[in-house]
Amino acid sequence: MNIDEPIPVTQEILSKYPREQRYTLTILQDLQREHRYIPREALPLVAAHVSLPLAKLYSMATFYKSFSLSPRGKNLIKVCDGTACHIRSSLILVDEIQRLLDIAPGETTPDRQYSLETVNCLGSCAIAPVMVINDTYYSKVTPAGLRNILSDERSAINET
Amino acid sequence: MNIIIDDKTCPAMAGEMLLTVARRNNIHIPTLCHSDALPGQATCRLCIVEVVEKGRAKVVTSCVYPVTQPMEVHTHSPKILALRRTIIKLLAARAPHSEDIQQLMEEYQITIPRRLHGSSTESCVLCGLCVKACEKLGLTAIATVGRGTGKKISTPYDEPADDCVGCGTCAQNCPTGAIPIEEQPTRRTIWGKSFELLSCSVCGHAFTTREQWEHIRRQVPGISDTPVCESCRKQQLCAQLRRGHQ
Amino acid sequence: MKHDTGKKVLVCCGTGCLANGSLDILTGLRQRVQDTACGAVRVEALIKATGCNGFCEKGPIVKILPDDVSYYRVQSTDLDEIFASSIQKNEVVERLLHLDAATGQRIRSQHDNPFYKKQTKLALRNIGEIDPTDVEDYRERGGYQALGKALQEMSSEQILEEVCVSGLRGRGGAGFPTAQKWRQCASYAASPKYVVCNGDEGDPGAFMDRSIMEGDPHTIIEGMLICARAINAAAGFIYIRDEYGLAVKNFAHALQSARKQGFLGKNILNSGFDFDIEIVRGGGAFVCGESTALMASIEGNVGEPRAKYVRSVEKGLWGQPTVLNNVETWASIPPIIQHGGQWFHSIGTATSPGTKVFSLVGKVRNTGLVEVPMGITLRELIFDIGGGVIGNREFKAVQSGGPSGGCIPASLLDLKVDFDTLTAAGSMMGSGGMIVMDQRTCMVDVARYYVNFLAEESCGKCVPCREGLRNLLNILTAICQGKGCADDLDLMAEICAAMAEGALCGLGKSAPNPVASTLKYFRDEYLAHIVDHYCPAGICKELTDFVINPDLCTGCRRCVKHCPADAISGNPKEVHSIDPAHCIKCGNCIDNCRFQAVQTMKGGSSQ
Repeated sequence: MNIDEPIPVTQEILSKYPREQRYTLTILQDLQREHRYIPREALPLVAAHVSLPLAKLYSMATFYKSFSLSPRGKNLIKVCDGTACHIRSSLILVDEIQRLLDIAPGETTPDRQYSLETVNCLGSCAIAPVMVINDTYYSKVTPAGLRNILSDERSAINET
Repeated sequence: MNIIIDDKTCPAMAGEMLLTVARRNNIHIPTLCHSDALPGQATCRLCIVEVVEKGRAKVVTSCVYPVTQPMEVHTHSPKILALRRTIIKLLAARAPHSEDIQQLMEEYQITIPRRLHGSSTESCVLCGLCVKACEKLGLTAIATVGRGTGKKISTPYDEPADDCVGCGTCAQNCPTGAIPIEEQPTRRTIWGKSFELLSCSVCGHAFTTREQWEHIRRQVPGISDTPVCESCRKQQLCAQLRRGHQ
Repeated sequence: MKHDTGKKVLVCCGTGCLANGSLDILTGLRQRVQDTACGAVRVEALIKATGCNGFCEKGPIVKILPDDVSYYRVQSTDLDEIFASSIQKNEVVERLLHLDAATGQRIRSQHDNPFYKKQTKLALRNIGEIDPTDVEDYRERGGYQALGKALQEMSSEQILEEVCVSGLRGRGGAGFPTAQKWRQCASYAASPKYVVCNGDEGDPGAFMDRSIMEGDPHTIIEGMLICARAINAAAGFIYIRDEYGLAVKNFAHALQSARKQGFLGKNILNSGFDFDIEIVRGGGAFVCGESTALMASIEGNVGEPRAKYVRSVEKGLWGQPTVLNNVETWASIPPIIQHGGQWFHSIGTATSPGTKVFSLVGKVRNTGLVEVPMGITLRELIFDIGGGVIGNREFKAVQSGGPSGGCIPASLLDLKVDFDTLTAAGSMMGSGGMIVMDQRTCMVDVARYYVNFLAEESCGKCVPCREGLRNLLNILTAICQGKGCADDLDLMAEICAAMAEGALCGLGKSAPNPVASTLKYFRDEYLAHIVDHYCPAGICKELTDFVINPDLCTGCRRCVKHCPADAISGNPKEVHSIDPAHCIKCGNCIDNCRFQAVQTMKGGSSQ
């Protein structure tokens, strides 16, 4: 699939689901997965498919946190700020990433390589504080460990 | 059946909302988000009352609380007054310039605590009446955006919406005057979209937007092709009826 | 030649262990077995991936049966030795056994491990013992027998009665009697009816539902089937948090194999009963854990709760009668039907029978998931099972019940935990998160943390909750920055009261609990922030200055090495000092000092 062409990709996703309102969330999730955000061009197609007014669909897309309406970076760094992580200083990690990559939570680096997000509990509280880069979990992360993780990540990216 | 509201016996039907019964019996309960035409928001929480059913007391929202059995209702008990006062303070902190909220503050003799004094220029209290009204008209050009404390009401992407016909029903239903609507002799601007106004083919008064008129024609088949305003249409209808009688 | 070892090796592949590299352990062991296939002696052993064992702190965990040996913190470099000694032979690798901190002894069997000893596994009975992707594993341990019993030997009324006798209360938070819910729903004639599983576990600090969905999905399916039979429901839905990828995957797999085996679909076990379950992935909204919001979300709407004056057992999903329970509740149903309600009722306390799964996390030594009978004291939970506070610091509080719960102080450590005692203490059972806090946890910051969480995660529909949270957050932030004033505490209490009574849904009504409970038990700490401009825990940066006590500093340079800002200087064996101009107040020094020489200074620069 070519993710630069939102309309055919959206049409392909829509073709998998019946034209019922209850599939809206699932369709949006598929779109988010495919594009790493919900492209603007896709929304009217989805709205027509599930017979929802565009404003209602936009309301849903902004209500649920899984969805992003602006493009995210290639690599998504999630720092868990669940309670267990919080009291084990997860926000210090956020500060440190902010220092190293110069992006605040919710932001993406200018080269579109990294986006930073804080998330509310990934359910891995026993190994707090937790950080996830794409699908890789890092447990009991310290500010010093963080620097190594990021530089490893970066060199891996530069190689590819 | 009969229910007792503030020591007054009030006849009520099963399934009726408490607020409706109270108002019919001239018992005043304040509301912001309630409209008889668009009931059921239950968002402003001003209409909370204390209900005693089967000996158990609880705080309920009278606008959506259905009468199902005999009960005793207190609309101004000390507990309710205290809760309502705090809710008014919270409303005032959000929308300090709203006239309705200022009136409530006077009625309940409230001064806003210093800490809640903000520089808020907001007047929307997110009651939801505008969204409900727009939906009822079959348009849904606006909806809530986001969630939590950052929630607001807007069009998709905060841009002029294709679905908006500029009817202004949202603004008319807003209890806090939070939806700006700009009227010029032949143009109206609302939600960032500018509309051309059409004139009544009878009296010449500019009364509707082109989009609204088209929307009405889609919804009401058989309506005249040329726009006729509300009062002229009524006159025409009366005239027709008179002719029918003769 | 063939050498059948008869060994079954269970590698924990719960999310915690996976994060610590258990997949490498699993494939590494399988590889070693496979490699012998072409050799002189072909070794046979069953290597299985299981769900979470609960002791995530010490993962990856490898269990060898029938020897009943458990290894902890297994690394790839340990595999050759494990393979040679414990799989090919019956020897034990001593250094990988659990070390009991109290006795200094190595412990071979999981059952003798103090972390597991006081536990009674009921909802978690199969997790860590079975491969969640193999329905035969579940059946071997008695799975789907309760369903057989319910379909072939019991009437609807008998099922309802059994659940009623058990006294089971909903494990999702409020503790509503499960049988009462089912009975009401069964009494309505409207059709179709629905059965829903709430797997939108959103309480930060709780992960038991995740563990069950990942590690034993069939028990949820069986529980839902039994209810569906009792109330005559047509279809079921499970709403799973989208972040829980493995749970979605394992559950989808379980649904498929259940259908293949005839446990789902048409004419289940030849009883004429039809039922199936569909997965709905959540959209990332904590408020969807609230039942009416969850149903709105399944229908394809924004997840806003509605006033529950008409209950969802009567008008729920698509306006039809609906039973909604959470994951742990469903997991408790098959054993209740299998062993009888009386058996379940004999465990736990009179008003809260059975067991409860807690996630023991935060500043506690043994973090993980534990399942214990209701009525266990907080002290037993935190000190006997949890091993006490990390770093030998003093226990300060335990937060239970997630954002809807409250903080319980040390003076209540002997509280017997059940639904009612926790509520009476100003907290809540919630989903069972137990977050242990020590002197380095600032209670004002904790309150601010939860309010901030809810400000983002609530739906924003009603005034008391939305505006209450907004203003509480402003006030708490001001206090944390040293800008609090004396009236703030009363004003917060007033807002809390209005939220508790005036908010629309259960989430809004319980949202002030973290503030109200800290105001009640930790008022002094609030006053320290407001009056003394001092954060005793050293967390609120504006109110914290770290200093080194020269009497206690040994000059070990540990703090110097851990300081990410190079703000600490000092030669070995000489007293170190912190340069306040460079200090970023991260607290690494105080957390790493072994001599309590780093301290927070009262009356710091901010005064």
